Amino acid sequence: MDISSIAFANSLILGLSIASIFFVAALGLTVIYGTAGVINMAHGEFIMLGAYTVYALQAFAGIPYFLCIPVAFVVVGAIGFAIEKSLIRYLYDRPLDTLLATWGVSLVLIQGTRLIFGSEPKYVEIPQFLSSNIEIGGLSLGVFRIFIIVMALLLAAGVWFVFYKTDFGIKIRAVTQNREIAASFGINSGQVYSFTFALGAGLAGVAGALFGALNIVLPTMGMGYVVEAFLTVVTGGGALLGSAIASLAIGELQSIFALVTNSTFAQFLIFVLIVVFLRFRPQGLISASGKRR
Amino acid sequence: MLLELDNVSSFYGRTQILRNIDFGVKKGSCMCVLGRNGVGKTTLLRTVMGLVDKMTGTMTVSKADVTRARTDERAKYGLGYVPQGRQILGNFTVRENILLGTFAKTGRDGKVPDICLELFPYLAENLNRRAGELSGGQQQQLAISRALAVDPQILLLDEPTEGIQPNIVAEIGETLRMLNKKLGISMILSEQHIKVARDLGDQFVMMDNGRIVEAGGIADLSDEMVDRHMTV
Repeated sequence: MDISSIAFANSLILGLSIASIFFVAALGLTVIYGTAGVINMAHGEFIMLGAYTVYALQAFAGIPYFLCIPVAFVVVGAIGFAIEKSLIRYLYDRPLDTLLATWGVSLVLIQGTRLIFGSEPKYVEIPQFLSSNIEIGGLSLGVFRIFIIVMALLLAAGVWFVFYKTDFGIKIRAVTQNREIAASFGINSGQVYSFTFALGAGLAGVAGALFGALNIVLPTMGMGYVVEAFLTVVTGGGALLGSAIASLAIGELQSIFALVTNSTFAQFLIFVLIVVFLRFRPQGLISASGKRR
Repeated sequence: MLLELDNVSSFYGRTQILRNIDFGVKKGSCMCVLGRNGVGKTTLLRTVMGLVDKMTGTMTVSKADVTRARTDERAKYGLGYVPQGRQILGNFTVRENILLGTFAKTGRDGKVPDICLELFPYLAENLNRRAGELSGGQQQQLAISRALAVDPQILLLDEPTEGIQPNIVAEIGETLRMLNKKLGISMILSEQHIKVARDLGDQFVMMDNGRIVEAGGIADLSDEMVDRHMTV
């Protein structure tokens, strides 16, 4: 088997692009699962809502793409906040019930979106310069994929800043480590969970704003991304750094496997590797908290 | 009374732990809660903090009824909690652990309070160190420091000398004396070291099987009482 160095370099860059998509898809879920321990089955639908928000803003109000991204964050964050307040908050410490309830939410969101927007695909428009390709020394990559990589880095930096440099971050991490102690020092854990869920949903909304431009927008589009998100979060262990490392490893390995075999077999290999990895390290790469109380 | 419990009972699930507790702490005084292991001392402090599943009776802080208040709301009435086993957040830095206490403080400025730095110079010099790396005695200093960051009216100290080296026990005892006698911070002190209790306490309650079985001024705490209720 002869693999040229250019093909290998291309594969690494493609791997980076896949990793950034995995990471962006998983970021909101990482925040929610890592903090509250909620396995949010509706995460893919939050991504879908982000994509539809951008579509609606463009189609009905003519808002430019770059402005749609923060609006998607706010809109989906607000929806997440409302769902947490009306449903999830009653189900903490009941993981199976939470799983079923969020699955129900996902079905409601899919059907609701289908009722409002129909089943036919929608399209998100991006500025012309994002649609082009860049070629450097025989390596080729779409500008929009580079944009997603940059966004992944910016979002990771933003979440790190919120978690480690703000009062809200201290509250989130305190509640994650020891809810009783956090409460004993004036932190309302219910409020922290609500805002964390909203933050996670908002990040999913941003993911949707990006993925909506990458693919067509459909009510069921979240189903594919939620698998990627869960793979990343479970492998990473629920921590931000864990998700970053996991998405990078999955993206690069998948791309390299695809180079030497084919993309279907590469995905199969990735799934097998993750299952074997979790067999020996069920807590994932970096556990979000030593002991959640 | 600064803090008052009236006919308080508390439960974990359906299991009743405290039974009909009447209890009060005067401003500036130190109330010692004594008794063998498992008689309800820790549950009494957890009940005051609102950390039990259910509580009946009434509780007031500075005459405000806090019976129905959540734990985070009670903390804002000036309750500084030093839990059993310290329970500092090991993944946090020393600074973050202390800042955690300030969330219960009114007029929060996001800075480490001076008193925490002055009382414990080691902590002041190691603010960016991971708290989980500190020794037991240093972690206890940090737990006290975190409670002081609340700017508390009352410190609730649950066996602060448990598992600490004897020389550090004396140091912690001296710090608590200063906080109580010089700064006038009221205290509820659950303690197994009877010497520490006698040194610091103004009043005491002796507990057995979830009830208060003896109470009075610390001078009334006889050796016979200690033998009867605290010797295993």
